[in-house]
Amino acid sequence: MDERGNRFAVRRSAAAGLLAGAVVGSTILVIVGSAIAQSAADSADPYVEATHLPPLLTTADAVELEYDAYCIDPATDEAESWCDVTGSAFVRPGASGHFREVPLMRDGATNRLVARVPESIASSREGFTYYAEIETAPEGASVVTLPAGGASAPHRSLPLGQAIQVDLGTHRFGEPARADERVAAAAWGDGPSEAGLEQGRNVPPIGASAFDVDASGTVVLLDQAHRRLLRWRPGARSPTQVPLEIDGALADMTLAQDGTVYVLESVGRAGRTPLVRRFDAGGRSLGSTETAESRSSQIRHGSGGTVVLQQPSQQWMRVAAAGSLVGPDGQRRSGRAGRLHGGGIEVIVLRHDNEIRVALAGSAGVLRSWRITSETALAEVQLAEPLGSHLVLVTRVYSDGRDQFVVLVLDRSGVRRTFALESAAWAETAPLARFRLVGSSLFRLDSTPAGVFVDRFDLEGK
Amino acid sequence: MSGTRMFLISFVIASCLAAAGTASAYHTRFIANNCNYAAPTPTPYITRDGSIAVALRARHEGYQWGGGCWNDNDIDDSPGDPPENVNTGGEGGDCSGFVFKVWRESETESNAGFYQWGMLRHIHGPYTAARFKAGEGAPNISVSKSVLIKMDALAKSGHIGMIYATNADGTDQIIEAKGEAYGTSIWTRTYRGDSSYGGVRRTGWS
Repeated sequence: MDERGNRFAVRRSAAAGLLAGAVVGSTILVIVGSAIAQSAADSADPYVEATHLPPLLTTADAVELEYDAYCIDPATDEAESWCDVTGSAFVRPGASGHFREVPLMRDGATNRLVARVPESIASSREGFTYYAEIETAPEGASVVTLPAGGASAPHRSLPLGQAIQVDLGTHRFGEPARADERVAAAAWGDGPSEAGLEQGRNVPPIGASAFDVDASGTVVLLDQAHRRLLRWRPGARSPTQVPLEIDGALADMTLAQDGTVYVLESVGRAGRTPLVRRFDAGGRSLGSTETAESRSSQIRHGSGGTVVLQQPSQQWMRVAAAGSLVGPDGQRRSGRAGRLHGGGIEVIVLRHDNEIRVALAGSAGVLRSWRITSETALAEVQLAEPLGSHLVLVTRVYSDGRDQFVVLVLDRSGVRRTFALESAAWAETAPLARFRLVGSSLFRLDSTPAGVFVDRFDLEGK
Repeated sequence: MSGTRMFLISFVIASCLAAAGTASAYHTRFIANNCNYAAPTPTPYITRDGSIAVALRARHEGYQWGGGCWNDNDIDDSPGDPPENVNTGGEGGDCSGFVFKVWRESETESNAGFYQWGMLRHIHGPYTAARFKAGEGAPNISVSKSVLIKMDALAKSGHIGMIYATNADGTDQIIEAKGEAYGTSIWTRTYRGDSSYGGVRRTGWS
């Protein structure tokens, strides 16, 4: 081969090497990437998921504990050949002593796991406490404990007692009450005094997902799309901005008396639970903690510290106390059915079908309770908090075409005062972030296509 | 320069370019690299609990507008897709595609039968959230929201999610493909009382 032929051969060899290297390199990467994704999909063991609606306030001695339990086997794509689950409930009268094991039995009609609480326990005047352990059968490779704190923070079920009856009858979707004052308002937009919307044609409007009001009347709006707070001092027309390091998705928030801000995010990073982030009044980060459970619905600050209502345990769990954040283990051990208010009073709420049971409870049991029934369908309870010797409860009534909030001020004789409010907000908020009670003022977060606003309703002035 | 040397150099460059491309824009290739178009398996019956098992395996797997394909590694393998683009080819279903697959419906709207679609089968199905709300398609009917039970759905124009459980305060835990920033998971929602939402039921199951 001459020199020219040799150069050509070298070039041809180099070109072939270049092409082969490119093809092999990129192909290996794709194959390895796909294999990693697939092996992750194939390697997991069966696991259990369970949900339970706790009978927090009972009216009869016969009580059944029902659990929806699902065993997911990642090794099969066949949904109807799922693995089975088994388990037990552990129940005891009152809040101390040994738990008695009651096997969970499969109800053929509902496919639920059911345990009938022994009547001697269910009829206890102090109520009963319980938890359940549900596991894959027969191996028991995956175990779910509900509530997550198990024996150290069991569910507590109390007899409702002589409840004050409140019959709402058939709701008339009429003229809503007028606010006493608009205390904050912002147009949608990206300006310094405007609130942002999460963007995307495929996402219905979501923005200004939560708010709170401090004792001085300062309104703080969580403008999560802009990762900031908007703060209106009493009488101020324009808000000031407080940047926050948050993830920018739907979140709830609460204020402590010293101005500390707690934000409960709703989306966890890969394989993690959502964060509760803590900031000082100026927006400086004071740390964060993961929630104990994968799902949470609201965060509030009160005499019991800062608490988050978490699922599937359906318990309020303390996420901050005495100036410190609480980790997941501590949260699980602090779980309780109701939210603590001043004087150690716990407010417990149970909505079941068209009935709401609500109780003020102390360590000895229910102190006062109400049983609210309605001919019109009842949706969620947005707020239930004491106001002096009264209880303020905000629920939503709905038909298939209409919905309104109903505000009830309850007392010993039943309903002291009631009025209706429009419930349709244009932009989505955190699920239970529409109301705050401060003193005798009820504040409501609402929105239209033009913007977001907070109105105040005086509960004692009319 | 020898062929072997060029091979090694180009191998390294190609690997780096492929990796860089993967890091910056792999959301455009999840479907191309992982998903299939296999025919569904006709299924004689389905249960609500069985559909929950289908739905739970999509949890944490991301969201793709117009999508319908996911693995089960609990990671969104294509995070940060531009939400305005239906063609980014990322992991996950969108809200209506997720319901279609979990309810195991047919692509043929007149067919109310049950069809098991594999997780990695890329399919959205013929229904938008608004069409589900209207009860369109042989398997779907509109029902009163007050009678909805688990794995029935709440739908409005632009969104649909299925009821996973009910909370003590009357809210629902909804399993849904919520959006790119959220992915697919379970959240507490107040859709039931919101009059922009209607109730939808897949018929024929137990």
